[in-house]
Amino acid sequence: MTAKLRWGVLDAIVVIFALIPVLWIASLSFKTTATLTDGNFVPREWTWENYKTIFQTDQFVRALINSIGIALISTLIAVVLGTMAAYAISRLDFPGKQVLVGVSLLIAMFPQVSLVTPLFNIERNLGIFDTWAGLILPYITFALPLAIYTLSAFFKQIPWDLEKAAKMDGATQGEAFRKVIAPLAAPGVFTTAILVFIFCWNDFLFAISLTSTERSRTVPAALSFFTGASQFEDPTGAISAAAVVITIPIILFVLFFQRRIVAGLTSGAVKG
Amino acid sequence: MTAQQEKVAIPAQRATHRKPAISEGKRQERRLGWLLCAPAAIVMVAVTAYPILYSVWLSLQRYDLKFPENREFIGLANYATVLSNNYWWTAFGVTVLITVVSVAVELVLGMGLALIMHRTIIGRGLVRTSALIPYGIVTVVAAFSWRYAWTPGTGYLANLVAPNGAPLTERGASLAIIILAEIWKTTPFMALLLLAGLALVPDDLLKAAAMDGAGWWQRFTKVMLPVMKPAILVALLFRTLDAFRVFDNIYVLTNGANETSSVSMIAYNNLIKGLNLGIGSTMSVLIFITVAIIAFVFVKLFGTAAPGSSEEGRR
Amino acid sequence: MANSYPHPRRSLRARAFAATAVLALAAPLAACGSNDEGGVPTLNLYQFPVEHMQDVIDRCNQQAAGKYKIVYQVLPRTADDQRVQMVRRLAAKDDSMDILGMDVTWTQEFASANWIREFTGTDKSDVENGTLPGPLASGEYNDKLYAAPNNTNVQLLWYRKDLVPTPPKTWAEMIQMSLQLKQQGKPYQVLTMGAQYEGLVVLFNSLVASAGGHVVSDDGKTAVMDAGALKGLDTMKTFATAGVTNPSFSNMIEDDVRHAFQNGEGAFELNWPYVWASMQSETPDLAKNVAWARYPGIDPGTQSITTIGGSNLAVSSYSRYPQLDFEAVKCLRDPESQKYLAINAGQPPSIESVYNDPEMAKAYPMKDTLLEELKNAAPRPRTPAYQNLSTVVAAELSPPDSIQPDKTADSLKKSIQDAIDSKGVLP
Repeated sequence: MTAKLRWGVLDAIVVIFALIPVLWIASLSFKTTATLTDGNFVPREWTWENYKTIFQTDQFVRALINSIGIALISTLIAVVLGTMAAYAISRLDFPGKQVLVGVSLLIAMFPQVSLVTPLFNIERNLGIFDTWAGLILPYITFALPLAIYTLSAFFKQIPWDLEKAAKMDGATQGEAFRKVIAPLAAPGVFTTAILVFIFCWNDFLFAISLTSTERSRTVPAALSFFTGASQFEDPTGAISAAAVVITIPIILFVLFFQRRIVAGLTSGAVKG
Repeated sequence: MTAQQEKVAIPAQRATHRKPAISEGKRQERRLGWLLCAPAAIVMVAVTAYPILYSVWLSLQRYDLKFPENREFIGLANYATVLSNNYWWTAFGVTVLITVVSVAVELVLGMGLALIMHRTIIGRGLVRTSALIPYGIVTVVAAFSWRYAWTPGTGYLANLVAPNGAPLTERGASLAIIILAEIWKTTPFMALLLLAGLALVPDDLLKAAAMDGAGWWQRFTKVMLPVMKPAILVALLFRTLDAFRVFDNIYVLTNGANETSSVSMIAYNNLIKGLNLGIGSTMSVLIFITVAIIAFVFVKLFGTAAPGSSEEGRR
Repeated sequence: MANSYPHPRRSLRARAFAATAVLALAAPLAACGSNDEGGVPTLNLYQFPVEHMQDVIDRCNQQAAGKYKIVYQVLPRTADDQRVQMVRRLAAKDDSMDILGMDVTWTQEFASANWIREFTGTDKSDVENGTLPGPLASGEYNDKLYAAPNNTNVQLLWYRKDLVPTPPKTWAEMIQMSLQLKQQGKPYQVLTMGAQYEGLVVLFNSLVASAGGHVVSDDGKTAVMDAGALKGLDTMKTFATAGVTNPSFSNMIEDDVRHAFQNGEGAFELNWPYVWASMQSETPDLAKNVAWARYPGIDPGTQSITTIGGSNLAVSSYSRYPQLDFEAVKCLRDPESQKYLAINAGQPPSIESVYNDPEMAKAYPMKDTLLEELKNAAPRPRTPAYQNLSTVVAAELSPPDSIQPDKTADSLKKSIQDAIDSKGVLP
């Protein structure tokens, strides 16, 4: 009983520290403009006005669709390409391996602010400015280094010879991979998927620079198009409401994947 | 045990098929390796080769977009200008401070969080999901909420912690707030990577250590940490690289007032606001070089735990 | 063969995904901006979001009767973001931008870089006719007209008439009144913007202009910190250290100031007229006790001179239809458009005759004070390197209570000169 209590307390601490600022954002989203800055954590006057406002025009909904689509496609492709490359890097020996690893890190390190304008020029010339492709390509590019590194690190941990052992025990190639290797690779793959998705979902710099209309604008960029009652008024209520709404897909995504991260532990493959 | 038999069996296999198989196998291996890496490599290089090279090229020129007729090649003069400038070094110092403090704290908190997420026996789904939410919130919005929270009169934190002062108007306090915002936002990133690393620590190793009488701390430092080294490296490396380029939180909280600018902010100001492509690109290259040095140091420190290195893991 | 290395199961899947990806990527290929439909030239207006702007555009399209069609392409909310978007495309010689909604401080920069076209002949005289001189100056570069004033803006002094019977005429008077109220334990703060950003430069500019000083020479090429500028610095320092400011003063922007005043924290507010409308709707009880007056001056006998804000309309150099653009601009900012936006979107007009229209009285009870200030208002220092200048000035003056007038003046002179010459590094 005391073990449960101990863990329960630790859980509570984590949840509180993680969620209080989020609740504050939610609180801002329910406050009326008059009471926005009254300093209370719980709103004195509640209103759904902000939520109604953001769904009034289809600007926000369009941005949501763009965000979901672009993030999902980018994550999918980045994880696939990253897995292939990481498998090669951690299992195979070929010249240029170190170079690839180094170059991908180099790409992750270069400040993106200087790359935006040349990218803008390239995309304009290729005709993919303000399209889904125009965002998907940079997202994949900048997510790949993290994907490759993360996946390589985890693939190194996998005892690949278990595959041979399984085959010697009579399993086919596919069965050996599916029943033995895949569960061990799962934690790394799903971790990478979550991190890449969140990166694409929250990116602002590329979203604001490589889009120009609702056709491809994602939510973080759309936030800077929200307007207050006048030029000087920040639409804090609307922005907070939008932030709450766009966090929901993240919660769902994480909820779905978090179980699979540790699924490999109990698969029994590692026991002697 | 099977593992032992494995170790004996493999050299035997290799011995009997030695010469012709290796060269053909090696060639197959190489081809496969390149084939698998090709898509990723092509995408990365195609998208970033021109922009990066163009940036470096710009850094060697005097080029202000407002006065295009004054454009000229000046070699390393921009570098001399930036490296001898006080604004740059102040921003550099601030950035190093924020990076070191936030990464150190995040490593410790992240490890603790990973352990909780891994080991907790109740509310597992709740803890894991809520722990990751801070990382999933749009940074700018979170920064705004912190700004409101810390402004006296309008926010709960200011009223609670500093009822008579305005923390965002003082350098020390605002740096602390910025670091706090960074830690809150990205500890889940560390925790997630460390969690996945934790998940791969073999249970039987831990049990064996426990049976040998090792206490919890010893099990942690002697069994878990070594196995987690690659995961720790990735987490530390990428988190440090990102921390060094902190921008959003500072931009919203103080806009760089009271000398709280980071190198990214100062590069942005020169490149985008000042339209000085020469100086701005120079700063980008300098940031890149600094970050590359950090990465190099990390990889050297962690040695064989780095991806793509040596035979470990190839068993 | 015994040594067959397993291909990852993913490879087949990977190829399928790659194929789908390519299809997805190839599908939406389109150029930016609207294309001409059916032979009617499309003029893309790139401007920040303004409520009811579409009504004005519809009216002008109707008036054009098929000669052209204006399409509203909205830009981000903040001026900096708008500028970034525009500059990037102008530097790339993008021909899909036709009419640009510009902040008053960008004219010099854009004109010097040849990104906007000059207004000549009848276009020029049509714009100049009836436009207030202050706003008109903000559209000029080298004595030529490059941008047509659209809406304008000046700050006023808002005060609590239940606490302050007669409004102060100078800063010294205002500080004194505030200290008296402080002693009496009543709301006393003088609320205005002091964060490290453009708003601080606006405050500085107003003080310097009111003291009759100059920051740069008339040709915009030399930094000049004369006696008047020194006096402006002095006033700012006195104000910041007199004990009458809000604790967050050095981190406050327009909306923070508005909120603080609406929360009842201050007796005086120096802010743009937008605060009036929001006061009316958000805190009507407080609004009953609020009156306005002219921005305080420095010398007792001299009227204050305040900084002009607002926006102009310009024609892109890379537009395909320059002549149509000029016509469209003239319609978009004509008296009827300005009146409509003034009443419905809170944008003070730049054409004098509009102020005298009877319909303006209700939405702009303060219009007489506005007009008075506008007739004698100052633009910000006119130089193509204004953004640089603004960045260094804001950095040097922040936080305002650490200003040392003599030292700061010297330091400013050097930094401003560097900024104008595009030398050195911006903070």
